[in-house]
Amino acid sequence: MLRGPGEADIAFTVNGAPAKVRAAPRRTLLDTLRETLALTGTKKVCDEGTCGACTVLVDGRPVYSCMTLAITCEGKSIETIEGISKDGELHPVQRAFIDADAFQCGFCTPGQIMSIVALLRENSAPTEDDVRRAVAGNLCRCGAYPNIVKAGVSAGKRKS
Amino acid sequence: MNAFSYARPRALAEALRMLRNGAMALAGGTDLLGLMKDGLARPDSLVDLTGIEGLRGWSHPKGRGLRIGALTSLVELETSDALAKTMPILRESLQDAATVQLRTMGTVGGNLLQRNRCWYFRDEGTVCWLKGGNRCFAIDGENRYHAIIGAQDCVIVSPSDLVPALLAYDAEIALTSSRGTRQMKLGDLFVTPRGRDRREHALRSGELITEVRVPEAALARRGTYLKAMDRKAWSFALVSVAAAAKFERGLARDVRLILGGVAPVPWRVIAAEKGLEGSALDDAACADAADRLLAGATPLRDNGYKVTLARELVRRALRSLVA
Amino acid sequence: MPRVVKSREEFEGEIFESLVLVEGKDLPVAPAGTEFSEIAKSRRRVDGQQRVTGRARYTQDVYLPGMLHVRVLRSPYPRARVRRIDTKKAEALPGVRGVLHRFNAPKAAFRGEETIFREEVRFVGDEVAAIAADDEQTAVEALRLIEVDYELLPHVVDLEEAIGDMAPRLDTDGNVAEAATHKRGDAKRGLKEADFVVDATYRTSTQLHNSLETHGAVATWDGEQLTVYESTQHVFGVRQGLRAALKLPFSKIRVLCDYMGGGFGSKGGVGKYSIIASLFTMQLGRPARCILTREEENIAAGNRSATLQQMRIGGKGGRITALEHISWANVGQGKWVANPTGPTNTLYDIANLSSKSYKVVTNAGSLSAFRAPGYVEGTFALESAIDELAEKMGVDPLTLRRKHAASPKDPMVGKRYSDKHLIECYRIGAAEIGWQRRRAGGVRGSAPHRRRGIGMATQIWGGGGGPPAYATVHVNSDGTVVLTCGSQDIGTGTRTVLAQICADELGVELEDVHVRLGDTDNPYGPISAGSLTTASVGPAVRLAARDAREQLLGAAAGVLETPVAELRLESGVVVTKGARTPLAEILGKVDNNTVIGKGGRHPNDPELSLRTFGAHFADVEVDVQTGEITVEHIVAVHDIGRVINPTTARSQVEGGVLQALGFALSEERFVDRATGRVMNANLENYKVPTVKDVPAKITVKFVDRPDRKANNLGVKGLGEPPIIPTAAAIANAVANATGARVRHAPLTRARVLEALAIAGARS
Repeated sequence: MLRGPGEADIAFTVNGAPAKVRAAPRRTLLDTLRETLALTGTKKVCDEGTCGACTVLVDGRPVYSCMTLAITCEGKSIETIEGISKDGELHPVQRAFIDADAFQCGFCTPGQIMSIVALLRENSAPTEDDVRRAVAGNLCRCGAYPNIVKAGVSAGKRKS
Repeated sequence: MNAFSYARPRALAEALRMLRNGAMALAGGTDLLGLMKDGLARPDSLVDLTGIEGLRGWSHPKGRGLRIGALTSLVELETSDALAKTMPILRESLQDAATVQLRTMGTVGGNLLQRNRCWYFRDEGTVCWLKGGNRCFAIDGENRYHAIIGAQDCVIVSPSDLVPALLAYDAEIALTSSRGTRQMKLGDLFVTPRGRDRREHALRSGELITEVRVPEAALARRGTYLKAMDRKAWSFALVSVAAAAKFERGLARDVRLILGGVAPVPWRVIAAEKGLEGSALDDAACADAADRLLAGATPLRDNGYKVTLARELVRRALRSLVA
Repeated sequence: MPRVVKSREEFEGEIFESLVLVEGKDLPVAPAGTEFSEIAKSRRRVDGQQRVTGRARYTQDVYLPGMLHVRVLRSPYPRARVRRIDTKKAEALPGVRGVLHRFNAPKAAFRGEETIFREEVRFVGDEVAAIAADDEQTAVEALRLIEVDYELLPHVVDLEEAIGDMAPRLDTDGNVAEAATHKRGDAKRGLKEADFVVDATYRTSTQLHNSLETHGAVATWDGEQLTVYESTQHVFGVRQGLRAALKLPFSKIRVLCDYMGGGFGSKGGVGKYSIIASLFTMQLGRPARCILTREEENIAAGNRSATLQQMRIGGKGGRITALEHISWANVGQGKWVANPTGPTNTLYDIANLSSKSYKVVTNAGSLSAFRAPGYVEGTFALESAIDELAEKMGVDPLTLRRKHAASPKDPMVGKRYSDKHLIECYRIGAAEIGWQRRRAGGVRGSAPHRRRGIGMATQIWGGGGGPPAYATVHVNSDGTVVLTCGSQDIGTGTRTVLAQICADELGVELEDVHVRLGDTDNPYGPISAGSLTTASVGPAVRLAARDAREQLLGAAAGVLETPVAELRLESGVVVTKGARTPLAEILGKVDNNTVIGKGGRHPNDPELSLRTFGAHFADVEVDVQTGEITVEHIVAVHDIGRVINPTTARSQVEGGVLQALGFALSEERFVDRATGRVMNANLENYKVPTVKDVPAKITVKFVDRPDRKANNLGVKGLGEPPIIPTAAAIANAVANATGARVRHAPLTRARVLEALAIAGARS
């Protein structure tokens, strides 16, 4: 069934809750999250798949939402930075970021955190190298990397 | 991005019908969306292949070679421990390819068909030869990342990390279109844009890659993949090399040597490989192979360093096979 | 009563004298070793929760009802005359609401020009027109429909071509203008008398800021008042620029910047995007958003100038006899230059010295301040040259520096430093890196084709801060505190550090202090740049907190019927001999109230020179076959007075080191000379460091002694110092490891391999 080029109905779940949006096929998941669903925690930095600031999880896996069309997410489960704390309690990765001072301006932070959340689901006790591999596609211009690595390792320890 | 219509069929035949009618194929989207955002691709419709189940995953039927579905994600090839035993070079070549996110999104078929990264080509405001203009801007311009060998009208380089690794194992691909299916050597997929043929790939219109096949005999080879970047992660190769051979009493047989990042296509010189047949891959043999592989290299103003890099990576890759 | 006094401040390497308004008396500095309740303590960032949950609202996240999306048409040519613009087709596109260009836009003063759309566009990216539309895609499509008739003019983009005789003259006076000179002694004679002379040319490439949040503004006009949300390092500077452009009084302009995604110097004032968004909202009555794309950010929002630097340095008898430094910097279309000669003039006590800095205009995007502008470029040349001289003289490069680094006086202006512990920095750094392990010619690395070496370089910078900076402290009747000032937190931890200073002086818990920044309705705060925030705003906060505390104790004295002299305020509790009463309880006994403390930064002593010092040491490994450099260890030692928060200070240093690592190894803008286009205006080919580029070890050390003559906290700034010496330390380590001297930053594989070939041919 051909949809578009005008707006089409798209249904997926966002942070566990069903969401229905109307969006043209050319609309990215990033713009849909930010502008249609007002989930502005996911940041737009390069908009061309090079920086990682827009990293979200689709069906549990980390992707660049700027290089993902919303319409391709039909029926899928999307998780964003807004969805990982439960009942007002921060996710262990979020707590680890605060404790390790793993951010400065904070603009790359949601993407970094989502990449590490994805890592921890595959590997609950990552080494420093595991964390580096997981966030090698998340650029940080302030240079918080050493603390991001520390936070990733310590979040693994907290979780397990 | 221009406006387009979209469909996600479940049946391959349906996808092929749409392709025949001019739709562009979307899989991981990591390259196509970039081209669309830069105005370099303006499809009227996209056919999303990811709903087609039969093209995903890999198998290794006993003695019949390795088969990898074109929609298999790169991250699956990279992280499968079983595959790392069958063909370790896959993990080796993929772990420094792009980023986790891009490997999660990107597919094998898409990786083979990705377009070049030349910054003149990717710049919407530059109408270069490859885009139908009348000159290659890189030849006299900023060319540190460009081809040192094998180029004619256009000095792009082959960007894939996976491709040289697959070529070192004699991979073939299965292609299908609404007119039928065919098989070709992976190496034949890549064409040097020249003269009136400004394509990078020999894919026919309406055609899809459905599978990559690695013959059983090749899986016996020992292989390695080395990549030089200008930072320690998340960069296309300045130069990469895939090398493979099998060894009989310490002597190399069926040697394969492929360079990425140096030519418009994955760079392979049969004479260089032949020269290594029966060799112990000592330093002199390595240097000789590098000479043959790079004979005729004509570096541009800013990319002479690639010749030095290529020679050294060739030596290291071959030496590591015997180490 | 407020009074006007003279002050002398340094900003981005330049000295300014000014008149400032102050009130009352300043407070004395607590001596070294004082035990504070909050100061000098590692604290988590007070805004951490906001930042890790995605709730922190950045300019990019401001979406207002009915908002228009603005996109800018930028010149595709490096130099051209805009003869005609036809916007009919663009305006006919459904959803397009407004168009601005040079033929219809009102006059709007911007950096000395009368309009924001030039007749002669002067770089690829120069503003030609702007579209406001209902959504972004429509605006983008409309841009494609604008037809512009350009008359192409000759251009030049490359620094060295622009200096040459063949280049088109872009200004009536030519492309090269002298910007700064300094002379002391007789450099020519000093060089003649030297036994050893190094005469070398160094180059640094253009570095792009690439703050992750691009420049941008969201403006809204309610018919009376203009409110502009802007990603800026200086809300008051933006207000100043908007007043000049739009002819509105300050009272009708409010500029806000709550959270900010990095600036690194590039977001110092109003941008054309803010003026364009403001013009649209004032014309069309709907909010307007103009946020740059990554590409626009990299072609039109500033950069660190490329430089060409000639150093002549002479030595004799184990000392430096003379130094001559001439620098040319590609400022693009910028109107100023960041002088790379700053460190040359001020760092070492060298008797015979001459320096000249030239500004070179080209048809490229303007420079803007970039973290220690000029000093990063200049230190690379100066500190490389000193190592080259030491090598030639056969002396230890650290020993040579020590002989010229101990003076308590600023060699350029002759005034005494307020404080200086550079020799101590050398001592700490040398011990941490194991300088005694350094061998001439380096040592074998982890493989036969890898060489290992050690190098170091020195840092000098301002960072003393100064007035004007004001703060107010509101204490609510429940004992909670709102600290307000016009500063901004650009990621450096300003909110946290100011909250610590406030809580400490006031005697309340850190979590009870809420900090409000980034608003021109707040008391004036300076630009978050020049490493000046803690040293400028911090002392004002302390005074405001002291003022509030005195009032609180006065109130407590009344409520508790106890003399003030017997009261203390600690952790939000009023302590008397024998009783502890929570502040909230005391304030709750009076009717609804707000206690307001005020503070303003007092002037600096005009007879003193306020400087920060430091040294970086690098341990590197070089693959001599592939030219790959791996930085194994950086030791960063800084003398910045008292450290308020060791955790955020450490992060700041690591961040500076890593940005410097990019400058040193991989970051470089490429401009096509024929077309003037930036080829890597993106994060694919403009290579900022990734997590994997981080050295295996970064050791951060502070001298951590209060500068008792600097200000009432004894603090100086730390934003810029850590980016200054790293690149030179790395280049010196590479030279030590391999014998190859790379005189062009970044030290790419191509340059390393070339230098290795030259070194190999020589030996």
